[in-house]
Amino acid sequence: MLILRLALRNILRNKRRTSLTCLLLVSALVIMILMDGLMMGVTRIMVESLTETLEGEAQIYRRGWRDRFDPALYLDQPDEIRSSLDADNSVVAWSERVMTPAMLASSYSTQGVMVYGVDMDQERKVSRIQQAQVSGDGLQGPGDILLGDALADKLEVTLGDRIVLTTSSLDGNDLVQVLFRVRGLIRFGPSELDERLAFIDLVAARQMLEMGDGSHQFVVRFEDASIPNAPLVLLFEKVRSEVVDAQGWLSIQPAIGAMLEMSNFGRIVLGLILFLLAALGVVNSIFMSIYERLYEFAVTKAIGTRPFWIGRLIVLESLLMAFISVAIGVVIAYFLGGYLESEGLNMGQMEVSGVVIPDRIKPQMAFNQFVEAAAFLTVLTMLTALYPALYAAKITPAEAVKRSL
Amino acid sequence: MSQKTVIRAERVSRRFGKDAAEVVAVDQVSFSLMQGEFAALVGPSGSGKSTLLNLVGGLDDADDGRIELAGRDLASLSASEKSDFRRDHIGFIFQSYNLIPVLSAAENIEYIMLIQGVKGAERRRRVDEMLEIVGLSGLGHRRPAEMSGGQQQRVAVARAMASNPEIILADEPTANLDSKTGIALLETMRKLNESEGVTFLFSTHDQKIIDRAKRLIWLEDGRIMGDERAQTL
Repeated sequence: MLILRLALRNILRNKRRTSLTCLLLVSALVIMILMDGLMMGVTRIMVESLTETLEGEAQIYRRGWRDRFDPALYLDQPDEIRSSLDADNSVVAWSERVMTPAMLASSYSTQGVMVYGVDMDQERKVSRIQQAQVSGDGLQGPGDILLGDALADKLEVTLGDRIVLTTSSLDGNDLVQVLFRVRGLIRFGPSELDERLAFIDLVAARQMLEMGDGSHQFVVRFEDASIPNAPLVLLFEKVRSEVVDAQGWLSIQPAIGAMLEMSNFGRIVLGLILFLLAALGVVNSIFMSIYERLYEFAVTKAIGTRPFWIGRLIVLESLLMAFISVAIGVVIAYFLGGYLESEGLNMGQMEVSGVVIPDRIKPQMAFNQFVEAAAFLTVLTMLTALYPALYAAKITPAEAVKRSL
Repeated sequence: MSQKTVIRAERVSRRFGKDAAEVVAVDQVSFSLMQGEFAALVGPSGSGKSTLLNLVGGLDDADDGRIELAGRDLASLSASEKSDFRRDHIGFIFQSYNLIPVLSAAENIEYIMLIQGVKGAERRRRVDEMLEIVGLSGLGHRRPAEMSGGQQQRVAVARAMASNPEIILADEPTANLDSKTGIALLETMRKLNESEGVTFLFSTHDQKIIDRAKRLIWLEDGRIMGDERAQTL
């Protein structure tokens, strides 16, 4: 392994330069792994926030209902859907809802809202409604209502106050008015939810709208959030018909899907930029090393070293630097990632497309991030070395003798 | 000693520059070198001796003429074939030693055999043998920076010998050495010539080499002005 010894000793000739080059590669690797973890963390938060707040991981509803949320488009025979949901082993929980736009009126104000009729026992298994309740006892009976705390502020009501809910009947010909008492305040985070949502009992909602046993929406939670986004979901195939549609969360919220795609694209672009910057540093370092050894290369060629050998030596030297950098970088990223995973990174609270990103983001570290980043860095470093390797391989041996004159 | 021709140069020319700035470094030079010769290209600076050595060693291409080394026309070889040819048939010794600084003396000698594809055990045996021949037994572990100029040039000789070449081309090998060290090195090379039958061709204006060469080819302005053999010197 003389060539390996030669390569190793060559990179140790100028320890300062090699250290700086490795530092550059280590930095790129650590930043890449941590940024990837951070983006994965944000993605996880967005997906969890989306699927666990209200939307669920999948929804079953009457075709056309999601276009306008027309209360008249409800599932009037949901028993088959309930049976399918109960029979599916991948389904962890489900909840059915009645939803209608309505006007809430207090003594001081009126607000347009979306009213959800929910079964609290079912609902707390698919959404964060229970965690979101900031005060009050919750829905105890058919005359109770939960309001977003921002909505309560606008209506200038508090716990125990009465409000009137006005909505139209399903055929649109009559107004329905029901008196409710505020039994709880909730806060999901996004203002568009907390200013516009109200929850009443499922049975009360059905009675109010005279829709029998019907529902507008089934919200489903699976064993894994990725199940409903698979190309083929057995549950969906089973319940879909000319009347009924079923969709996973990515289809329901295409904007979030696009954002996740952009996030993935951003990871690749960021990675490329980082590694290209590192690559420029590596090229510079290798060229400096080659220029210092021009004469030596010429001599080795003069004594019969093939150009391929010289090129291979340069690539081997850069690979050794990459391996050293990967070893150091992976260890640093492992410990730093572990620390940030437990402590989180304070980036301030953000709201993106109605999804609240908490102020402390915890990166999501995974084995494949380390492997991919390390492989990416190694391959890119090797590719980066090809140009200087080609240059070194082309050095003419006559230069050696000219220099010796 | 065999009478096999190692080098045959026929009307070889090499020019540098263009038009008015053109310089004819080697001008219609013809000569032959037989196996076992200990010859020197001699002449003042700028006489074309190093250029001729480069051409003979396949490090540079002639503009005109034909050079045969070990029976092969150098012009017919591709760049890679020339590399292989130099590796297997020619040993080079340069003025400034030109050892690989990060390799030990033994590794420098081993390197040439490594690129020849010689197996590890044979390489190590040859390294020990070469170090002994050049009088550096026990110093194989030293790096060039830990050796004197004379010792480094001995390593260069050992490296040139290690590949079992048919000819060793030495460009001013004693120029950077003091007189005593230079003489000692030349004696080593002469012994190798006599005992191993290795052909040497020097490019020099060092009197020590001129005194010991068995043949002197005098160059001036790129032309051969004289070709003297030992008995006439």
